[in-house]
Amino acid sequence: MMQTYAISPLGMFFCLLLLLIPMSLSYYLKLRFVRSTIVSTLRMLIQLGLVGIFLTVVFEINNSFLNILWVMIMVIVASHSVLKNAELKISSLILPLIISFTTTNILILLYFNSFVIGLGNVFEARYFIPIGGMVLGNSLRANIVAINDFCNEIQRNENRYLYHLSLGAEKNEALIPYLRKSVRNALKPTLANIATIGIVFLPGMMTGQILGGASPLIAIEYQVAIMIAIYVATMMNVVLGIVLLMNRGFDDYGMFKKSILRPQE
Amino acid sequence: MPKKTTSEIIKMDNVCFNLDNKQILKDLSLSVNRGDKILIKGKSGAGKTTVFRSILGFQPISSGTILFKGEGLNSELVWNIRKKVAYVSQECDIGEGIVIDMIKEMFSYRSTASKFDNKKLLSMFAELSLSESILHKKFEFLSGGEKQRLAIIISILTQKDIFFLDEVTSDLDSTLKKKVVDIFYSNPQWTIISISHDPEWVRQDVNIFDFEKLQEGE
Repeated sequence: MMQTYAISPLGMFFCLLLLLIPMSLSYYLKLRFVRSTIVSTLRMLIQLGLVGIFLTVVFEINNSFLNILWVMIMVIVASHSVLKNAELKISSLILPLIISFTTTNILILLYFNSFVIGLGNVFEARYFIPIGGMVLGNSLRANIVAINDFCNEIQRNENRYLYHLSLGAEKNEALIPYLRKSVRNALKPTLANIATIGIVFLPGMMTGQILGGASPLIAIEYQVAIMIAIYVATMMNVVLGIVLLMNRGFDDYGMFKKSILRPQE
Repeated sequence: MPKKTTSEIIKMDNVCFNLDNKQILKDLSLSVNRGDKILIKGKSGAGKTTVFRSILGFQPISSGTILFKGEGLNSELVWNIRKKVAYVSQECDIGEGIVIDMIKEMFSYRSTASKFDNKKLLSMFAELSLSESILHKKFEFLSGGEKQRLAIIISILTQKDIFFLDEVTSDLDSTLKKKVVDIFYSNPQWTIISISHDPEWVRQDVNIFDFEKLQEGE
């Protein structure tokens, strides 16, 4: 098996040095990203450091209950992150979102591990956790786009929405076009990724497997399978997320509840 | 108090509406019977549009009562009102995309699905000098006058008999203004409440509510 080069501390330093480029761009263009670049990077360093230690232990123990617990924590953090990034009040949707994320992702993961990979133990840490992370990470991004888009559109085109209510549309009938638009916008990048995979970019997992010494053929098999799992889970999560918003985000009169938005400072 | 006759459709009693500590409507009282033709006048900001929006349940009022066919406004009733009242708003912000697809979407709802009448649509296009070619254009690219005529035609196609019309003739030339007013006033069964500055809407038998006078009369 080929050896993977470990990145030396000096190498890591050079890598971090690259961040000066986006930070200076942000400074000159007043993107206000300097602070968040530093915070995000620090968070990544700490989180991955902890996860590295934690995963080593979890992989060794490989206890199904512990693995599920770990995926649940990922789900809770993801739900929180969706609401925070979509500028909604956390309390407004967190519980239903956690439930929706849990059901869809666990279902997809179980299906994937038992039928696609054919694992004896579907909660096997080495598969359950990283694949769960990939599926969740991707649907997270799409969910932020969709929920953001939906809230923005419904506010920007409020009169149009009200007009459709005045035509006699039920709330859901009038909201379907907004759902359609948000889901399309959120899923477009995923579909574009699937269509250009291998040519435009080599996905992280495949790269990882190849760097780790796996044959490119196995890496490709896994990549195809994981892309499909991501697409399916993302679609389910995004649609569910918007449906939740449609149910929780409107009052009895069909008016959008501005109270679920986080107040802008 | 005697029982209201069933012909009274809308009754507003001492309705006030405040927005950000500013009083938009003050003690407005209004009674509308079936078949009435009512014209609401007054400078912008006088709260004319608010009257429509509050009856349709788009804007909660601050105080007072609104009755629709004798029943107090509530979250169940407003959905019913929306199925009975045809509302044409000032901005004509009614949709986007190809016009014919937009219209099909509007007539795909449970309460509107059976109402679409293509013959009627085309005859109204002819009546209001709209070219059929706009059916295949994008709504965003239509002129203000075309949008207004389209919104008017759609409101009539919904086969409702109560109309809330908010400045629906502002972008039309005087011949068309007259035609539109004729259409709305010609049916004695139709209840028409119109907000407009256009003199075409002033006719005999039309009740005129001047908001400026109402608000200053205090």
